[in-house]
Amino acid sequence: MFLSRNKLYLFLSILCTSGYFWMYFNLTKNPIINTEVCLFKHVTKIPCPSCGSSRSITQIIKGNIQQALYLNPLGFISAFILLITPIWILIDVILQKKSLFNWYKKLEQFIRKPKIAILLALLIIINWIWNIKKGI
Amino acid sequence: MEAQKVDMFILANGKFFEAHNINIIRDKLLLIDDSKWAVLSTIQFKDPTTSLIVSILAGGFGIDRFLIGDTGLGIGKLLTCGGMGIWSIVDWFMIQDATRAKNMEKIQQFLY
Repeated sequence: MFLSRNKLYLFLSILCTSGYFWMYFNLTKNPIINTEVCLFKHVTKIPCPSCGSSRSITQIIKGNIQQALYLNPLGFISAFILLITPIWILIDVILQKKSLFNWYKKLEQFIRKPKIAILLALLIIINWIWNIKKGI
Repeated sequence: MEAQKVDMFILANGKFFEAHNINIIRDKLLLIDDSKWAVLSTIQFKDPTTSLIVSILAGGFGIDRFLIGDTGLGIGKLLTCGGMGIWSIVDWFMIQDATRAKNMEKIQQFLY
């Protein structure tokens, strides 16, 4: 499986579409129904590092930025990706460019640098500990 | 390169590649210059079995994708709780082939 431009765009489109469907479902669902889908949380009863992202995005949509930040800061990153990616893919497809693909490759190389990787991993672990403490 | 060296390489590293790629690698290795042998024998390939173990234990956080070098997909997996658990289950079956494909990508820099 070589990651080519079209494969990446198709994959990101599927990911974004399912993300939007999931958010739509979350915003319109019956609050009584429990819709926790995280496999890790179901198995171990401990929240995973990104548990609470959906609730965080829901709060962002409602305008409660502080509440969103409390629930899970990773929600902001997810919301940003969900917002930007479809537009970027559309522009690339219409103009027949591969700017997102090139940017993705550059980002991968940047994150793979040991200093950056360790810093990001630490941030995720801190967020995870916070998540467990909050009992998300 | 000498056929003996090439066969030795294939014997030692065959498990890191997909079966249908091995013949292509063998043909290409026979064609390339002998001076590349030293570099070639130092390339470290990722073991598909290791990535499968990592995928089963920590697939939900995308660690398996980080391990084989798919950093972008790893972040995607981490941010979505392993694709709501679906992606991590799919990856239990996909990760070995993905690892072999990554190894192929790695060796191709030396073959061409």
